[in-house]
Parts: sequence; C-alpha cells; structure tokens
Amino acid sequence: MEEEILGFTMFFCLLKKFQEVFLLIYYKSNGARQRHLPGQNSVKGILFLLPMLTFAVIFVFYPFGQALVQSVSVVNFRGEITGFAGLDHFRYLFGRKEFSSALRNTLLLCGVNVPVTVVLTLLLAWMCRQKSPFHSIMETAFALPMSVSMASISLVFKVLLNPTAGYLNYITGLDIRWLTDRRTAMYGILIITIWMGIAFNFLLFLSALRAIPGELAESAALEGASSLRIFMQIQLPLLSPTLLYVVCTNMIQALMTNGPILILTGGGPARSTTTMIYLMYSTGFSSSNYSLAACVSIIAFLMTLTFTLLLFTTEKGRVHYQ
Amino acid sequence: MKNSNRLLRLLPDLVLVLMAAVVLFPVFYGLMGAFKTPQEFSSYPPTLFPESFRNLDNFRYVFDMTPMLRYYLNSLIVATLSSTVRMFLAVFAAYAFVFYRFPGHRFFFLLMLTTMMLPPDVLVIANYQTVSGMGLLDTYLGMCIVSFVGASQMFMLRQQFMTSPVALHDAAMLDGCGDFRFIFSVLLPTARPVLITLFLQSFLAQWNTYLWPLLVTNRNSMRTVQVGITMLTTIDATNYEVILAATFVTMLPTMVVYLILRKAVSHAMSSGALIS
Repeated sequence: MEEEILGFTMFFCLLKKFQEVFLLIYYKSNGARQRHLPGQNSVKGILFLLPMLTFAVIFVFYPFGQALVQSVSVVNFRGEITGFAGLDHFRYLFGRKEFSSALRNTLLLCGVNVPVTVVLTLLLAWMCRQKSPFHSIMETAFALPMSVSMASISLVFKVLLNPTAGYLNYITGLDIRWLTDRRTAMYGILIITIWMGIAFNFLLFLSALRAIPGELAESAALEGASSLRIFMQIQLPLLSPTLLYVVCTNMIQALMTNGPILILTGGGPARSTTTMIYLMYSTGFSSSNYSLAACVSIIAFLMTLTFTLLLFTTEKGRVHYQ
Repeated sequence: MKNSNRLLRLLPDLVLVLMAAVVLFPVFYGLMGAFKTPQEFSSYPPTLFPESFRNLDNFRYVFDMTPMLRYYLNSLIVATLSSTVRMFLAVFAAYAFVFYRFPGHRFFFLLMLTTMMLPPDVLVIANYQTVSGMGLLDTYLGMCIVSFVGASQMFMLRQQFMTSPVALHDAAMLDGCGDFRFIFSVLLPTARPVLITLFLQSFLAQWNTYLWPLLVTNRNSMRTVQVGITMLTTIDATNYEVILAATFVTMLPTMVVYLILRKAVSHAMSSGALIS
C-alpha cells in the first residue's frame, strides 16, 4: 500500500516539475535517439510495452471507468447495470448519516495524524542526524515498525488498548475504554496509524537531513547562530521538497485508512470509526450496493486528488528545490 | 555553566532513548504476551512479563487451529509472484520507452504514469467483479493479478536505463544480439542495485497487503498470513493470549529478516523520495 501511495504522490511531483525538467529530459534523450532508430522498431517497442499496458487497462483504467459508470447507474446485486440514475446516488449518499460520519472521521484522521506524525518524525530525525554508533541503534529502533505488518500491530493494540486486560490504561493511570467507546474509538485508531507512519517518515527525513552538506550548518554555528535558527533558516528550506512529499504521502495514506478499522472495530461503535474506504467496503461487500460503493470510491478519489492539488498550489514558491 | 551545557547536549539523546522505548513498547508487549496464560490476562493489575517463558500452549493452539505454515507459504508465493511479474513488466516497458520510438510514445508514457494516480483501494470493488468473473477467486493468480502494474518501478527503471548509451544498443542489435539477450545480459546486470531496491519495495508492500487478499480468498488454505491471523479473533473476542501468539509468529520472522537486511530495506524505503 505504502508503495502505491508513494507512486501517487510521485506522479504529482512529476507533474509539478514537468515543465522545468521533464520535457527537457524527454526531448534531449529522444531527440538524440530518433536519428539512430530504424523504422521497423516501432512494432517491437509496442510489443515490449504491451504486457504492462494490458494489465493497466484491465486492472486500473477499466475499474476506474467502471466505478464512474456505476456511480451514475442503477446496478443490481449481481453488479449488472440496469438503468441510468444520474446523480441520485450521490444525492442519497450526502443525506445519509453514515456518509457524514465517514467524512468527518476521515478528515479527523488527516487533520491529526499528518501533523503529529510529520512533526514527531522530523524532530526524531533531526536529533539522529549525526552519524554515530548510538544514532545507528536509534535509527534501527525507529525504522523497526516498518518490519511489523499492519495486521500484526493492530492485533497487538487490540490487547494493549483493552481497558482492563491491556497495559496502556494501567501504566498511564487513565480510565478510557478506547476502542469500545464511541467517543474515544477514533483516538485508539489514531494511535495505531501514527505508530505505523513513524518508520517511513523517519527514514525519509533522516536521509534528506543527511544529504544536506554539513558545512552550511557548521559555518552558521561558527557565526553564532542557534540550533533552532540553523534548523529554521537552513535545514528546513533545504528539506522542503521531502517535507512536501511526506505530507502528501501521509495525507493520502490517512485518507485511505481502512486496515485497523476492518480488523479492530468494524467501523463501530455507532459508526464512530467508519472511514471513507471502510464505508465503500461495507456498502459494496456487506450490502452488495455496488452503485453506492462506487459513489463513495469516486468521492474518496476526488478527495485525494483535491488534497494533493491543494498542497501543491499552496506550497508553490515556498518549496525550495536545490 | 559548563555542566548545564553538557546536560543540554545530552538532552536530545535522552529524548531519543525515551521515544525509542515508547515506539518499541507495543512490539515488546506483543512478544511478551504470547507466553501468558488466559488467567494472567484476566487478573488485575496487568503484567508486562509472563510468569514463565516455558508456556508454549498458545503457540500450540495457534498451530493446531490454523494452517500457519500454509499461510506463510501463501504470503511468500503471492508476494514473490506479484513482485516478480511486476518487475518483468516494468523492465520491458521501460526498455520500450528508452530504446524504441513508436507512435504514441509520449502518450503511453504519461498513460502509464497516470496509473499511479489511482489508489488501488478505490478500485477494489470493480476489480473484485473482474477477478471473480474470470473465476480467479481463491487462486494465487487472483491475489496477484491486480498488482502486476508498477508504474513507479517502470519510471525508476527508465531513469536507470537512460544511463546506458543508445549506441550500445544499436551496436548490439547490428551484431545480431536479440532484445532479450540485450536486456538480460547487458542492461540488467548494470542495474542490479536499482532492481534489488525496487524488488524489496514491492515485496514488502505485497507482504503487508490486507484488503485485497481478504476479499478474494474464502478458503482458509488460501489465506495469507496477514488475513489468516486476523481470522483467529473477532471484534468482541477476548482470547488475547492466542492473538498475541499469532502475532508473535508473524512478527518475529519479518523482524529478524529486517534486522539482517537493515541497510537494504532502509535504503529501499527512503529512495522513494529520490524523485522530489
């Protein structure tokens, strides 16, 4: 999943730099090549592309088109289209309580998860930036969550967050029912998703911080600049492409959250942990309402698209590329 | 003055140790819980360490109740198959884009990149209909087939292939070297680090997928590890020691592999940011 999301943002990073870099590379590389290539090669080129193209059409473009079509059609429980519905499904969906709570929960996940994970991991990476045996151990520790699958850690948290048998309430002295209380269930899910996001962000920030030439910070320190000032005025601007990238990936990941919910809460109690993708899954598979599920998936897609575009437009000019 | 300075310098390291403890705690807690008895979970206050590490009943129960080794095999097959096919398709497509010119060259390149824009989770419903229509439910192929397209892999490989001169390709072709021979004995050996990185990335992602294998498998013997262990419990279940024994069995091997391949995996994950 992570890797696909990675791809999603990569695409936008590409779009952004398209005019500056992409076209340049493209024409340079192909312009030079064109002269050498005999005409018969065009068939071979298409043949080599064909396998990937076929799978992309069947399992990426077709399902997307299918979702678009189904969202505006009347679809029976076998998934066959029996009529045209226009925007009725969307209208119906917007009036439903499930939808508004799914929307609210998904936005809450984005609003809390992304800033917390980003600030936390940036801080950790900054403290680890110098290479030393001690930092290398810390690095391993913070990257370790990557090797633990979503399913495993969700199950561990199921026990850990249990109000009486779990350890969290006991050591913190809290008396919270976490996943079984509709007021706190979402916070339980947040803890899990934040935990899962640490390793990936940490590694990205760390490698970006280490790529910054050390002399910059050193000379600034010699001039008497404080660590905070060095960070804000030298390191952070140089880090901004990575930061933008991380914020985007995290945002999409938060929008797509479904695993811990499928395993731990089933969207409950009282719809308090239903997210967009979970709603899509439950309307599509539990209730076999394909057209509603298609509507939800289209809305989820549009949300990711809007958020990413928004990020790129607000960050325009503020992101510093070396 | 000097003392407080030294303390200030030590502060980040202290914070790091503390945070590391917080981050690793759930994993540690999970591993410990696998050895506890049901009584230990029902008594208050909860404990951190089990009474005895010789209590292996939970593991016995997990291996009796679930075909755990079969789950492992399934996960291994699915992750390997889908990553391998994905790599092959990506290599061929990248090869086509770098060394050949054909009508719609640029259009197809952008079209492939567009696949990155559609998160697979929003496509599962229509894909489920397609795959079940093909009669591929409960098969390895059905579990893998939706992840054969890897546009990010294709893009990275294209960047890599563009470093080898076209003249080399032309010369090889003139000397009667076939396309496949050129790919496998000239192009790929020089791209080994990139190939390993991309394969690892893909393998990790496939190993951890949950939603898709959950949807397309009904038979217990076809489930992957991730799906299989969650079948041991329901939302209301309180068999904590069994759950934790199952997670122990799934977590430990991947953690050991991670610790062995630490450098490669870290590199694989952070190289995704290369592009920006």
